[in-house]
Amino acid sequence: MPEADLLGLGAAVLIAGLLARLARRYGLPSVPCYMLVGIALGPGTPGPVLIGHPAELAVIAALGLVLLLFHLGVEFPVDEVLGGGRRLVVAASCYIGLNMTAGLLFGFALGWGASSALVVAGALGISSSAIVTKLLIELHRLTNAETPVILGIIVLEDLFLAFYLALLSPVLSAGDTTGEIVRDIALSFGMLAALLLVARFGARAVGRLLDTREDEVLAVVTIGLVVLVAGTAQEAGVSDAIGALLTGLVVARTRLRERVERLVTPLRDVFAAVFFVAFGLSIDTGHLGAVVVPVALAVAVTVVANLSAGIITARLFGFNQRGAANIGLTVLGRGEFSLILATLALSAGLDARIGPFVALYVLVLAVLSPLLAAHSRHLARVMPDWLLRRDWTYVREETISTSCTHLDQVRVTETDAEECPECVASGSDWVALRLCTSCGFVGCCDDSPHRHASEHAARTRHPIIQSAQPGEDWKWCFVDETLVRAPLGTKR
Amino acid sequence: MGQGVHVTDLPGVGKRYDIDLEREDERVSVVIRSSGVRDLYVFTSHSADPTAVLELTEEQARKVGAVLSATFFEA
Repeated sequence: MPEADLLGLGAAVLIAGLLARLARRYGLPSVPCYMLVGIALGPGTPGPVLIGHPAELAVIAALGLVLLLFHLGVEFPVDEVLGGGRRLVVAASCYIGLNMTAGLLFGFALGWGASSALVVAGALGISSSAIVTKLLIELHRLTNAETPVILGIIVLEDLFLAFYLALLSPVLSAGDTTGEIVRDIALSFGMLAALLLVARFGARAVGRLLDTREDEVLAVVTIGLVVLVAGTAQEAGVSDAIGALLTGLVVARTRLRERVERLVTPLRDVFAAVFFVAFGLSIDTGHLGAVVVPVALAVAVTVVANLSAGIITARLFGFNQRGAANIGLTVLGRGEFSLILATLALSAGLDARIGPFVALYVLVLAVLSPLLAAHSRHLARVMPDWLLRRDWTYVREETISTSCTHLDQVRVTETDAEECPECVASGSDWVALRLCTSCGFVGCCDDSPHRHASEHAARTRHPIIQSAQPGEDWKWCFVDETLVRAPLGTKR
Repeated sequence: MGQGVHVTDLPGVGKRYDIDLEREDERVSVVIRSSGVRDLYVFTSHSADPTAVLELTEEQARKVGAVLSATFFEA
């Protein structure tokens, strides 16, 4: 057994961790730091070389990739997303569609071949869930109206990634004839379908196979299973990444989900860091000069595509300019998925410029996205009203914490009524009074036996009621199921 | 609308609870992340930008919660 280069590995991981620690203090993401250390200390860069033979890291890096995607599958909030509603799916489709189209056109314009264009499309089109989520937490935007939408979009992007990988890896695995590629794609989607079926119907059996009271054994058995499925997928010509992701989806449906998530997270963090370092090691800085202009253009394309999609989403959900800018500039973050796609491309032997291109692209956006997102109000200030809804006047820069899209239907806000006419007619009692802001109807609240206000809203489809109790000043939107606090879309 | 607490799902993060204090411009929101961390958002102006945000671990949140609900005291 050859001696492992523990010295180089330890030093590289330690330096990567310390650099990430420094970057986190300034609100910058960690993933590009790991990659940067790989680039700086690798054989492709003049100066000290910590790890001379990146191939030695291959197994650990592969494990990092597998754990990264497995964890993504485990924490995938299936129910929340499926319950997210049609508007969210439309918004996410706009997002993915716009970004992927822009990426694909850009990829073909680069002229590195069709396969490369597909990789570039994915690298430019799919944002980093980790970076976006951390950004929302750090910018204190968890209570903003647009935040659930942003989170929904990135989760649907993750789901899209699964299908994209299923399509991409057969294309990259160098089938010579169209027939072979078609067969590989069929195989790939067949495996996808099989594992989704296991997730749907076999989760209980898998749970029983893995279940044990001891965390130690659970961790070992789970990791063994994931790596086995990933390896099988790889052998079958489907990518190991997708095998891992789908195994995660299966485990997510067992009752082991939370324990597995807790056990795997630290493993993922460490091995994924090695994966990103290993990616950095493969970058030859001599190639960076040649990709500077393409990267600058790619960043510009991505910013424009994201802002356009942000505006479309804001229109759909009735957000103001600040919401539109926040969506576009937050979803801008690129990281792990772009690097995963670049790794796939490099191992498939595509154009060697893809590595440096994606590395530099991720690095630029990693710094740009937090910076731009933090200052989104300046962009919101100059965004014209007609981009959103023509007949509305917006409070452009203000953060909006509730999303109700029906305020344009508010017509009545005052009433002299002191009784619920329907309750008076039937001789029953009521607790509190509510006013329909569309037609001025007054009815009793949901704590009253007959709930005449809710009944009225259900019958007439008038969206918003307002409390008619003296001293109370709140509105409730039945359609958006939200308390309406600050005026949205109108001047105060 | 139950009891003036409004719950919103934050996919991939956790759940957001908006607590209506029945005051014009003061309210509190709590985000419980699936990792167990709680974010306490305090609003004391008309703006929807929070006045203060506290990140609490499960343990810290339990301490604050116990004191607030007056089930915890030390002589």
